[in-house]
Amino acid sequence: MSAFFKSREVILTAAGLAFVATFVPYFVTIPELSVISTKLVTITALVNAFTLALAVHSQFMRGMYFVRRRSRGWILKAYMMVTIVLMVIFATMGQDKGPYNWVMLAIVNPLSSVNYGILAFYMASTCARAFRARNMKALLFLAAGFIVLFYQAPLTGSIFPGIEPVALYLTDTFAMAITRTFTMSVTLGAIIFGARVLMGKQPQVLGLGGE
Amino acid sequence: MPPLFSVPGVVQGRFLGLLCVVALFLSVIYYMRRKKSLYIRKVAGLDAIEDAVGRATEMRKPAVCSFGIGGFGYSTVFGLAILSYVAELSAKMGTRLIVPTGGGTASMVVRPVAQDIVRQAYIAAGREDMYKDEDIPFFSGQQYAYIGGYVGVLQRTRPAVVVMVGSHASETLNITETSNAVGAIVISSATSVSYAAFLTCSSDYCLIGEEGPAAGAYLSQDPSQRASIGSQDLFKWVALILIVVGLAAYNVGSDVIIRLLQS
Repeated sequence: MSAFFKSREVILTAAGLAFVATFVPYFVTIPELSVISTKLVTITALVNAFTLALAVHSQFMRGMYFVRRRSRGWILKAYMMVTIVLMVIFATMGQDKGPYNWVMLAIVNPLSSVNYGILAFYMASTCARAFRARNMKALLFLAAGFIVLFYQAPLTGSIFPGIEPVALYLTDTFAMAITRTFTMSVTLGAIIFGARVLMGKQPQVLGLGGE
Repeated sequence: MPPLFSVPGVVQGRFLGLLCVVALFLSVIYYMRRKKSLYIRKVAGLDAIEDAVGRATEMRKPAVCSFGIGGFGYSTVFGLAILSYVAELSAKMGTRLIVPTGGGTASMVVRPVAQDIVRQAYIAAGREDMYKDEDIPFFSGQQYAYIGGYVGVLQRTRPAVVVMVGSHASETLNITETSNAVGAIVISSATSVSYAAFLTCSSDYCLIGEEGPAAGAYLSQDPSQRASIGSQDLFKWVALILIVVGLAAYNVGSDVIIRLLQS
């Protein structure tokens, strides 16, 4: 039976039907299909939530395997399993207050913020590489970058008032046009990629790589 | 501004969108059936993957490939398509492939598919013994805990190539800069315009815009898949014509194209 549900035809048919059921009601007013679409979205959310539970279980079992074999890094795995269990227990006590909330506010969020703050240093080192104007094109980019950068800096606007119109012109014309072109090209690419997947031409992304 | 026209039964303002998507699908089917080989410009980032994995093999260093931190969005899915290609190359060349996973709760659902893709690639190349579950580590459902683990892997294993595609977000800079520091070739993809600028600066090769979604077809030897890229070009021309005509019309005082696009 599982082989039937894993077969290429069944998966592609299910994907195609799900596509039609959610795609058509967005454009065409068919109340019956809208009901099916809403139900499908709800079912997807439920299946997703259930899959998450399965994923946590699979992570736990994988961790157990590492700990039993005393593989490299098993202490970290044991620590991860303990924290998974603790967080599951804490979450059952409520997420807005209590230990779950404390762990998030006192440990997870500050650590994430520190990591996010480190980005500033990474950006600085990226800029250092980007600031090597090796040809005319790079020099133009660099000049535009400097103008926009100085405009964004708090004091520069008052020291060089003439920079504002140039920076705004660059962001409102070139940057805006490029952003829109980028969005259009990504959207086109995404639709055509979707069409290829639905036609079964890229089966590996549907988990059919072995066929 | 009212739309130029509305069609009964179609949600107001979405008729042209419906028409475009249907036409796009039909053109994809047409191009795929025709199978005529089209000229496709070279995409340096995609051509570099094979060389970079080859370099990893020669240097006896691992290759790292990640597909993002999101759920099954289109960017994750094309990330998986590229992962499949990298896994195939790594398996053929006998290179160790590390696939860091996690970064978001939804990524837990994608992980088994990625695991299966890598395993199948090694089985297909007859090197099942090289596949190791430990090489597809799951770090965390939290974005910055994941990146801590990812950066740790980069520093410990010092890979020769890092292919970072799919649904990555602000953590991209941590990955690309650390990869640079350990001497890896970095191939990334920018699906969001806000990341395109710094990824272009920090990566050796960056797939921009539609190059990412088109990667699967570009790398495939299947002529019908490669032909499907033709419809992309066709619609770019349509968009370009609409922009030029709209610009001209607007400058002579007509809002017909704007209202048409709102139909």
